[in-house]
Amino acid sequence: MSWGGGMAGGFGGAPGGFGRPAAPGLPFAGIPSELQDGVDRLLASEPEHPEPDIEFQQNGSEAELRRLTLWRLLTKYPRMLALAGLLVVVISIAAQTGPKLTEIAINDGMYPHKDFAVVAAMAAAYVVFIVITSLAQRFQVQVTGRLAAWVMNDLRVKVFAHLQRLSLGFFTEEKAGVVMSRMTSDIENLQQLLQDGLSQLAIQALTMVVITVILFATNIALATITVLLIVPALVLASLWFKRASERGYDRVRDGIANVLADLSESLHGVRIVTAHNRQRHNVIHHRNVVGDYRDANNYTAHVNAVYGPGTQLLGVLSQAVLLAVGGGMVLDHTLSIGALVAFFLYLNRFFQPIQLLVQQYNTYQQGQASVDKLRDLIDTTPTVVEAADAIVLPPIDGEIVFDRLSFGYDPGLLVIEDVNLTVAPGETVAFVGATGAGKSTLAKLVTRFYDPTEGRVLIDGHDLRSVTMLSLRRQLGVVPQEPFLFAGTIGDNIAFARPEASEGEIREAVDRVGLTELVERMPGGLDTVVHERGQTLSSGERQLIALARAFLAHPRVLVLDEATSNLDLQSETKIETALDALLENRTAILIAHRLSTAMRADRIVVVDRGHVVEVGPHDELVAAGGLYAAMYTTWVSQSDGSEAAAAAPRH
Amino acid sequence: MRAPALRPRHRDAPEQGTEFAPIAEVARNEAPRATIDPDRSLTWLRRALPVMKAHKGIFLTSLVLSFAGLVLMVQIPNLLQQAIGNSITHHTVPLSHYVWWIVGLGLAGGVMGYIARLFLMETAYDIEYDLRNIIYEHLTRMSFSFYDRVQSGQLISRANSDIRSVQMYMTFAPLILVQCSMAVVAFIFMLSISVPLAFVAMATMPFVYVTGVKMRKSMFPVSWIIQARLAEVATVVDENVNGVRVVKSFAAEQQQLRALSGAAERVQWGYIKDADLRARFTPVVQNLPQLGLALVLLFGGYMVIHGQLGIGAILAFNAYLLMLQAPFMMLGMLIMMGQRAAASADRIYEILDEQPTVTDSPDAVDLVGSSGDVRFSHVDFAYDTEAEHLVLADFDLHIAPGETVALVGRTGAGKSTVGRLLTRFYDVKHGSVQIDGHDVRDLTLASLRANVGVVLDEPFLFSVSVRDNIAYGKPSAGFEEVEAAARAAGAHEFISHLADGYDTVVGERGYTLSGGQRQRIAIARTLLANPPVMVLDDATSAIDVQVEQKIHASLRLQMEGRTTLIIAHRLSTISLADRVVLLDRQKVVADGTHAELLASTPLYAEVLAQAAEFERQADGDTDPDDDGSGSGGEDGHQLRDLLGSVRGGAR
Repeated sequence: MSWGGGMAGGFGGAPGGFGRPAAPGLPFAGIPSELQDGVDRLLASEPEHPEPDIEFQQNGSEAELRRLTLWRLLTKYPRMLALAGLLVVVISIAAQTGPKLTEIAINDGMYPHKDFAVVAAMAAAYVVFIVITSLAQRFQVQVTGRLAAWVMNDLRVKVFAHLQRLSLGFFTEEKAGVVMSRMTSDIENLQQLLQDGLSQLAIQALTMVVITVILFATNIALATITVLLIVPALVLASLWFKRASERGYDRVRDGIANVLADLSESLHGVRIVTAHNRQRHNVIHHRNVVGDYRDANNYTAHVNAVYGPGTQLLGVLSQAVLLAVGGGMVLDHTLSIGALVAFFLYLNRFFQPIQLLVQQYNTYQQGQASVDKLRDLIDTTPTVVEAADAIVLPPIDGEIVFDRLSFGYDPGLLVIEDVNLTVAPGETVAFVGATGAGKSTLAKLVTRFYDPTEGRVLIDGHDLRSVTMLSLRRQLGVVPQEPFLFAGTIGDNIAFARPEASEGEIREAVDRVGLTELVERMPGGLDTVVHERGQTLSSGERQLIALARAFLAHPRVLVLDEATSNLDLQSETKIETALDALLENRTAILIAHRLSTAMRADRIVVVDRGHVVEVGPHDELVAAGGLYAAMYTTWVSQSDGSEAAAAAPRH
Repeated sequence: MRAPALRPRHRDAPEQGTEFAPIAEVARNEAPRATIDPDRSLTWLRRALPVMKAHKGIFLTSLVLSFAGLVLMVQIPNLLQQAIGNSITHHTVPLSHYVWWIVGLGLAGGVMGYIARLFLMETAYDIEYDLRNIIYEHLTRMSFSFYDRVQSGQLISRANSDIRSVQMYMTFAPLILVQCSMAVVAFIFMLSISVPLAFVAMATMPFVYVTGVKMRKSMFPVSWIIQARLAEVATVVDENVNGVRVVKSFAAEQQQLRALSGAAERVQWGYIKDADLRARFTPVVQNLPQLGLALVLLFGGYMVIHGQLGIGAILAFNAYLLMLQAPFMMLGMLIMMGQRAAASADRIYEILDEQPTVTDSPDAVDLVGSSGDVRFSHVDFAYDTEAEHLVLADFDLHIAPGETVALVGRTGAGKSTVGRLLTRFYDVKHGSVQIDGHDVRDLTLASLRANVGVVLDEPFLFSVSVRDNIAYGKPSAGFEEVEAAARAAGAHEFISHLADGYDTVVGERGYTLSGGQRQRIAIARTLLANPPVMVLDDATSAIDVQVEQKIHASLRLQMEGRTTLIIAHRLSTISLADRVVLLDRQKVVADGTHAELLASTPLYAEVLAQAAEFERQADGDTDPDDDGSGSGGEDGHQLRDLLGSVRGGAR
């Protein structure tokens, strides 16, 4: 293990496309050796999946936006669903024939009549029904398994497609973890329910019906007593158990979440803990947190300990009653011995479904809760939507106009107020200002991550809201502050915006932004897989890849969000060259934290508390002695002139 | 000191230096009762034996009672059999005799079952409590060098799922064995009724076991494939959520949707394979015992007809076979659980076998009321044990009481290391670090750290209120003290503007603080402890220059009479110091005032210029809130573990 991860990942893994990540670096990752053979054999049997040909629609179709329910998801496959229903009925009936056959065998074959032929026939029938049950179960598992797999696939694609439609605002407000769990654990929660849960729920319910019918057909009086005795008691007990255990598991869930949160914090903050002598305090605290968790567990233990043996006791007591009443009836000759035996046998089979029903009901409720959460997500409408009559933005020159633009993330709280600005085609403009002044927000309005609260943003005279997203963004390029690399090769990452780009085009981009040296150093060249989001590359290298990505996209308008702030001096020079290549003949908006970047621009726009307060070239603004001049003076004195000297304006 | 970490502490004797580490929380729970055996040559179960022994009272009671309860339950089918024979067919014994026996046995069995199950679960949770606390307490004792090389994500995963699987095995293995032994008792009862029929009835049981084993074997690879593929889906979603800006900027929604659709399809294939395999095995495992029942009907019927058996025996055999089914299925599970638990235990022991490298020496004394005289003499230090890459070599530095010294040097020159040695986060290889003439290794760690306060370069905050964060090192501090410290650190103003002021919980949605705000809270946290010696390790790097200027006055006041070591890049921060020490190539190369160094040492100006660049990075630094606050909840943790994206303990 190396410090902080470092180069531990190494390079040279097999090249893979997007969505085929390298095995994550946890100890439980790689294939355990004893499974290797089995996994290999299975994978060899996997057919080549056709390339997905799904089309992304910016505005979801009506069918996609309909209320999400389990039923709707399932009824997309009506024949499969009907088949599953039929098999469930067959299983419920065929599996309950045994005791009835035993009854006939006893009454007609053993006592009082003795006839082995009857016994043998019944035993043979028993075997036949077992075979029927087995076959039906086999098909049912296959049918519901497929149904589940298909529905889950539909659901994943549907939810993900909707996520793609949602606006940036959604992703800023919602914690990444929450969005992730919708697409992972919430969907996965449904797997069990769909593949097994629903069919089991139906089978158990039907089984109870079947048994009740058989019992009443056998002897009405005894059946009434039995059913009246067991069902209410067992249902009450099960309902109590369900409520108590739900309460218990809520506590357990909270408990373990607290334990893990405390552990995680203690580990992440271990240096602070040590520096502040908090170990003893934290040990006591952890004991209390774990103690609460244990107590919650003990509560569920109590609930389980009451319910398990309790229902068992209920079973024994009903056997005693059945013996007393049923035995009495046999002695009075109002019941055959075979029927009594059948009653006993069915009694045992009666308990299982009720208990399972309660269990399955929990799975069902969890699944429902997941569906509710997913429905909420699907019902979230994007705040930035494509107009129904949106036109395809023709190739643009790159003129940007902010027209009486106001914007607030919260409409009551404007962060941009009445901004008027025109950026000429091919011009480079830098936005400067304090943190929170609104410079990044202005850039987000240009890329239409948000829509203005008032006023308009025009590109070549088109209001952004009147053109399609695809045609707009295809002509814009954004390089964010933190360069994000996707799992895949360096080449894939550069060609992110244009996967169809030829190798020659990629190479050109690499050359122009000065990545050649890095690519040559990598064992696999462009095909080298980027591990762990590029943590093995320096931040400068990652930034260069992000710039190459923007370069290859050939945007007409480029937005650089403090794209050069995270670099050491050496990378800085490289980026300068890359930027020169990138800015050529393009309209560009630079959001600059450091004034050395800002000085490169044709014009500087000073943003202060949501207003544009100064606009002009560097020299002019310095001479004007306004806010920019003041910033410049602080900056020069702060960096002791050393940086300022190195970064003289280029014109 | 042999294996101190694995030895119970003297619970009664107060620990060395305890008065320096106050505890504000009431201990509601006891310390873990035992520890893991430190002898590494033992098997994993033997090493865990002390922990099990610590709970042997309730554990053995539970085992004995569950065995007794099961034996009672085994009687009931036999009683029914006798009742049908003796009371119903032959009228020799009154029916009520058996009815009351059954009721009595049921009640006794129920009570025993309740106690047994409750105790068993409580044992399980007690063991889990012990294991969690043993690991936590061990982790709090570990030294920084350990955290430098271990990823906290791995530790959390070990502390969670591995503890669970060990605990499950340790408690449920005995229970399953008890149930299997009951199977033996049931078999004996069957033999006592009829030897040949007992063998006929049992004929299918070995196949149940064999099929079960075979089923698990062929299901493992497919479930592994499914897990890996679910992780692929999660990766696509994770990248999409975190890289949402890039995706939207380049209008790559289509491409992402296809990536997900492809990944989802691969999951779908896995689940269909899984269904096909289950379809092959589940019906067999479920219906083989039923086949046993059919055989009992056939052979039993034959024997009844020939007067060798009573009708009740068929009923009894039915009940016994149902009882036997579960243990046979669980036996296979037991083996699987055992393998998993052994692997988990190894991973846990791997942590517990690590020993802290920095510990109190046996004759350590408390440092009380230090005057703040700090001396490094001839210090050699390296982070790796081979001492090949010395970070400091023959390093000498003396800081007089009350003096403020700024340590300046290139990135990676070892500046932070100096601070870490002073607080004894690491031990020197050669030479010594002294405070008031005492070698820090002769002082208790708690007293040393109470006298030397450090503000680390990572402004990690815990997800508790701002107030509790500031009072982290002194939980007993009154509100006035907290506020005064916040004012001194220039944090009072922004804290007052938070929604709940000092009670605002850090890390909750909407209350994430900026890097600069975090740093100010971190400074307040150290100021509150009022240490005679203070180390500021890059403690103001993310604070706006303007704000920093504002708090300088109060910081200067705080440094009065306090020995302060400032590690800084910024000129403005350096200006707080009386003296500047330039560090290069493992030792001090220049020592004097800022002006002196600027005049005498060209390297100094160069380092400052580099630092000016470096300093800009602070704002763009990754937000520690992402994985630091632990507020992501369980889902978040699991997910991150899954993706292997938990950031390591990077220094």
